[in-house]
Amino acid sequence: MTNSNYLIEVSDLHKNFGELQVLKGVSEHISKGEVVSIIGPSGGGKSTFLRCLNLLEVPTSGKILFEGEDITAKGVDIDLHRQKMGMVFQHFNVFPHMTVGENVTMAPVLLGKKKQNEAVDMAKALLERVGLADKYNAYPQRLSGGQKQRLAIVRALAMEPDVMLFDEPTSALDPEMVGEVLNVIKGLVKEGMTTVIVTHEMGFAREISDRVFFMDGGVLAEKGSPEDIFSHPQNPRTKEFLSKVLY
Amino acid sequence: MDIINNIVRILEKYWNLFLIGTANTLLLSAVTVLFGIIIGSLLALMRISKLHIGRCKPLNLIATVYVEFIRGTPLLLQLYFFYFLLPMMVPALQLDKTFSIILALCLNSGAYVAEIIRAGINAVDKGQMEAARSLGLNYRQTMIKVIFPQAVKNILPALCNEFVSIIKETSLASTFFVGDLMTQFKTINGALFLSIEPLIIVGIIYFVLTFTLSKGIAVLERRLKTSD
Repeated sequence: MTNSNYLIEVSDLHKNFGELQVLKGVSEHISKGEVVSIIGPSGGGKSTFLRCLNLLEVPTSGKILFEGEDITAKGVDIDLHRQKMGMVFQHFNVFPHMTVGENVTMAPVLLGKKKQNEAVDMAKALLERVGLADKYNAYPQRLSGGQKQRLAIVRALAMEPDVMLFDEPTSALDPEMVGEVLNVIKGLVKEGMTTVIVTHEMGFAREISDRVFFMDGGVLAEKGSPEDIFSHPQNPRTKEFLSKVLY
Repeated sequence: MDIINNIVRILEKYWNLFLIGTANTLLLSAVTVLFGIIIGSLLALMRISKLHIGRCKPLNLIATVYVEFIRGTPLLLQLYFFYFLLPMMVPALQLDKTFSIILALCLNSGAYVAEIIRAGINAVDKGQMEAARSLGLNYRQTMIKVIFPQAVKNILPALCNEFVSIIKETSLASTFFVGDLMTQFKTINGALFLSIEPLIIVGIIYFVLTFTLSKGIAVLERRLKTSD
């Protein structure tokens, strides 16, 4: 039943926070190279779903297969799997006590993926790509929000992940900085990076996605191509949501 | 004007006592803080430890009970307790009661330092832990590489403030004549039957010590902020 082309397979995922049921049975798969955007109202479970994929939230029940292995099983070394799943957060979470360069090289060197000099070369190349080459020795405090988020993306890429998870990567940014971050993500998508992104940028989701998930009330209320979701939504809740966010 | 004259007379005759007392107070405080940091670090580690047997976390429980007990009883009581208890348990300590007092001060300070360290660790943004874990670092690596270095910036100024309060609190140890600054007041008071004058002198010395240190800490705090 497992399709070898599936990178992530989720079956009947539930997550409760105390009494509150946030995810009420989500089953989906994400194929290699696929770009999936998750949209929907606040509190609908989008972020929780994304955070379950690398077990930042431990599911209450259900199964998650990553590269064919059940990462929710007992005795699984989740740290090894997380090395292959890059994550970018709404609030950047760059390490303030490290320079830009150290932010990028720390994990690959510490986890034995790269030697120090290799990691430095790679960090410089990646930072160059996102326009932060001249900030290598700066501390994050000196960076703008957009620059911090680009650094956070590079930090995740330095682990050479098989999938990138973005949790509202532009929601905490000043409007004029949204574009620079979206451009970096677009570049990754063009190179074929498997991407799951929770976003409120509808135009962006429509442009880059292979598929769009509309999440509401803890379930995948509707899913389909960007054309399906944005131009011909079937579910009344999708229609209502889109009518509120698209003027 | 009698008071001024008396102060000058006391200073002329007993200046060396005040000097020794100040040195002893500083030494006592330094030793207390040093061992307080060692004990406090251990307690803080116990309190954040994830080791558990079933639902019970034994290390966490022991440390919590200890910290709550120390913080919930007066220091003077603890000093008396160890002053009487230790020589009873270890007869070799009969002669050196000062040791019992120093130990009590260290154990007391450890509980407060533990809370300072724990608060400093908790004050690090939760997102830092998540970011590090999502890169594939394990809990231990995350604590060492990401959380502790940031916690130190929260902890350091608070520890210095703890040193300032300990300078004042060691005066309680004078109850047992350990030779600190307050003990010197008692000595002079006993010899001259003067109380206000030596109290004024000792008070000024305490104030100068703590005021200078507090100002120094403020500078340190500003430095730590700018290096963020």
